[in-house]
Amino acid sequence: MSGLLEKLLINYPYLVAALLFTIGTFTVLTHPNLFKKLLGINIMESAIFLLFVASGNIRGGVAPIRAVADGEAVYINPLPSALMLTGIVVSVSVTAFALALIVRLYKAYGTTDMRRIVARRKEVTGDDGFDQN
Amino acid sequence: MTALIRTNLPVLVVIAPLFVAFILPPLARRIRLVEALAFLATVFGFGAAGYLAAVVFAQKGSPFIYQLGGWPAPWGIELVAGNLGVFFLLAVTGVSVPVLLFGRGNLTAEVGGAGRVTRFYVLYLLLVGALAGMAVTNDLFNVYVLVEVVTLSCCGLVSARRHPRAAEAAFTYLVLATLGSALVLGGIGLLYLLTGHLNMGFAARELGRAWPDYPHAVLMAVSFTIIGFGVKAALFPLHVWLPDAHATAPSPASAILSGLAVKGYLICLLKFLYGVFGGVLLRELAVHRILTLLGVTGIIAGSILALAQEELKRRLAYSTVAQVGYLVLGFGSLNVTGLVGALFYLASHAVIKAALFLSAGAIQQATGKRKIRELAGVGRKMPVTMAAFTIGSCGLIGLPLFSGFIGKWYLLLGSWEAGMFLPVAAVLAGSVLCAAYLLPVIRAAYFAPAPEEDWQDPGRPQRLALLMLATVVLALGVRPGPFLELARKAAAELLAYY
Repeated sequence: MSGLLEKLLINYPYLVAALLFTIGTFTVLTHPNLFKKLLGINIMESAIFLLFVASGNIRGGVAPIRAVADGEAVYINPLPSALMLTGIVVSVSVTAFALALIVRLYKAYGTTDMRRIVARRKEVTGDDGFDQN
Repeated sequence: MTALIRTNLPVLVVIAPLFVAFILPPLARRIRLVEALAFLATVFGFGAAGYLAAVVFAQKGSPFIYQLGGWPAPWGIELVAGNLGVFFLLAVTGVSVPVLLFGRGNLTAEVGGAGRVTRFYVLYLLLVGALAGMAVTNDLFNVYVLVEVVTLSCCGLVSARRHPRAAEAAFTYLVLATLGSALVLGGIGLLYLLTGHLNMGFAARELGRAWPDYPHAVLMAVSFTIIGFGVKAALFPLHVWLPDAHATAPSPASAILSGLAVKGYLICLLKFLYGVFGGVLLRELAVHRILTLLGVTGIIAGSILALAQEELKRRLAYSTVAQVGYLVLGFGSLNVTGLVGALFYLASHAVIKAALFLSAGAIQQATGKRKIRELAGVGRKMPVTMAAFTIGSCGLIGLPLFSGFIGKWYLLLGSWEAGMFLPVAAVLAGSVLCAAYLLPVIRAAYFAPAPEEDWQDPGRPQRLALLMLATVVLALGVRPGPFLELARKAAAELLAYY
């Protein structure tokens, strides 16, 4: 048991990643406010970024630049960090798009609460279904 | 010049639509030019797919490997136009041409002014380019990027209408799809941790050595990928976003979303399951049983939910949930016959669903009616549209001489071969239920008394698009020949190490 605990403590970034992912997913799925949902998405994605970046890290390692490090140094793996740059860009675009949609929804329904949107749907759109335009 | 194009085709087929997508916005005022350029881009894609198929065929199935930037495999990123890639490429580009044709001069009514129509084409081409990328990619992180491009352009297409419900559907879709991509990315991260490779082939080889040491991490990676792609591909119980999204989108968008976007994720799932994890691991972890079970519940639940819908487009959307069940059921069969069935059904469903959604869209546009019981007499007033709908329906039900039959037949044989009888029953029951939810539409359209209204078939490009799709449904059903052969080779390749 102490072995498992020790392993978990040594690899604490992964533990934090799992925790953040759970918090994010829970917020996305349970919170009725659209902004909170979006925040949940961002927390969830940060958790994955942390998982990647932690996987490339080595304690005491240095950045893999040959001119800086001496011959004995241990390099950290730069690839996961580079991948996560792409991941962050994607996450920013998703956030921007989601915010645009929230603005549209707010203009139509006057609220950012999912429950109230559902309640006001009939009043705003005229019917339960979908219009031609 | 031609030699340059020929040697770079696997990457051109991906970046040509992306490039055209980015030059369209400044041309927004000249809508004819925008339409022509978008059409040319998709036709080029189809031509390129055909050429690549011929190359792979001439090389007796050995793939056309393209190294981006000239860096060889474990370091650089590979694009592989093999049997599977070429198969899906043909399906994507082949369906994208008629669907685009359907939108010609017809989209303004659905999405608004010229600027919005241009935006529609931009998103459409981004989607087609990314789906083509999914067909040829051989890199785990590339898959993630393409998945995100597909997701964002799909959400954009869903929100293309000004109706508030469209924004609502797009938001729900975006939230759940992002949950799915986060899970997929987590799975990719675990795979990279376990193997140290992002190239699928190298990752698979390394995983074969490493997985007995890290069974829990591998199990986590498998479940992350299945749930992640499952959310995006609307695998039942994770389908909740699909009906709203596919029913609110403009008809060409619904056609491409239901027909192709969902399939892109399934092809990626297939590449992960068989190209990275491998058949042996799937059997050891009993993943194939889970897939079969998910498929069976998807077929039955999706069909029953479809039966309960009164609106035509929503019924078709729920029917997509059921058809995804068929494909996942085939993925779980773990034999060549079942996989051939899944692949062939994937392509034929792409064509059939495009035909069904487009004709449903044409009917909705002409009549202004959404409910099925209001469509009495449509068949006699709009003969071409309803003929395409009927042919598509027969294909989806799986009547002999229509393309759906061959896919379902192989799925049936594959399940039988695997010794699993629940899926055999589900495939048959699914067909019966499919007849139950599509035939009432046809009966109402042809045999109910028509009201005194002036409903007409859509314009010439729309009719041409419907005819093209209906012809393909029939042609693949009567002479599946080379296409089936390609599916067989792709399936054999996926199971080569099993």
